[in-house]
Amino acid sequence: MKHLTLAAAVAAISLTGFTAPALALDVEAAKGLAEQNNCMQCHGLRKDKDGPSFMKTAEKLKGKAGAVDEIVKHITSGKKVKLADGTEENHKIAKTMPPNDAAQLKNLAEYVLSIQPK
Amino acid sequence: MANLESGKQGIWATLRRPSVKYSMLGLLVVGFFSGIIFWGGFNTGMEATNKMDFCIGCHEMRDNVYEEYKYTIHYSNRTGVRAVCSDCHVPKDWTHKMIRKVKASYEVWGKLTGKIDTKEKFEANRMAMAEREWARMKATNSIECRNCHDFDAMSPELQKKTPYKKHMEAKAAGQTCIECHQGIAHRLPKGFKKPGTEEEEE
Repeated sequence: MKHLTLAAAVAAISLTGFTAPALALDVEAAKGLAEQNNCMQCHGLRKDKDGPSFMKTAEKLKGKAGAVDEIVKHITSGKKVKLADGTEENHKIAKTMPPNDAAQLKNLAEYVLSIQPK
Repeated sequence: MANLESGKQGIWATLRRPSVKYSMLGLLVVGFFSGIIFWGGFNTGMEATNKMDFCIGCHEMRDNVYEEYKYTIHYSNRTGVRAVCSDCHVPKDWTHKMIRKVKASYEVWGKLTGKIDTKEKFEANRMAMAEREWARMKATNSIECRNCHDFDAMSPELQKKTPYKKHMEAKAAGQTCIECHQGIAHRLPKGFKKPGTEEEEE
């Protein structure tokens, strides 16, 4: 009986489309992490510098599944990137305090994706 | 009062009077070794205040900036070279070190009055404290950074292209380390924008 009740509860939750709420974007924390990691030395919000603007990245990844994870991977793997002058170098690895804090990195990625044209 | 005056004169007169009991050599030897002991003790004490354990002896440093510093390259890195608090915040040469130590007495006053004795108070004062320290470092041409770092020792082959380019631009412009490298060992104050990265209007 107990199992039936549990199954019914799970089914009810599934039918109502319940999902765990995503954490809200913390813009100030994201900006702080971007400053701490010198992101803005090479990226503008809407202005290309040595790297593309956050807005351009957001446009490129708009609606794409796994966009957040893609950005997190980009800023934590140190992969080779092409600079505005055509040369290549390894992307800086973003650091958090404490290290490798997934929530902080995701928040920064979501902030990048949130930048819209004015 | 008269007794006090005569007492003062008495001490002064005693100090000025040539010794009739001790030889000149004896006085010189005692003076010499006393000087060594005093000077050695003074400098040893001064060096003790440069140790990291001393700096994090108070919870204001231990719970805030030290916790942040532990996650940075100046604390732990591939080669095992560590820069402790005083390496970045206290000049090495004696004169500047003394000046810094005297000024640090104001920090003791802050400790006694509980100016930053809670996380909230620390954060409320972080910008002011950071800006004061950055101004001090800029005024000394980042003297502590340059104990280890030197524009001329940067290799274009070993340093990434973008930082190398920026370093050479900074050198040509007569800039000093702290003008770009704020917050490398601690969290930046909330709302701080690095020069040249001012936020575009959102």
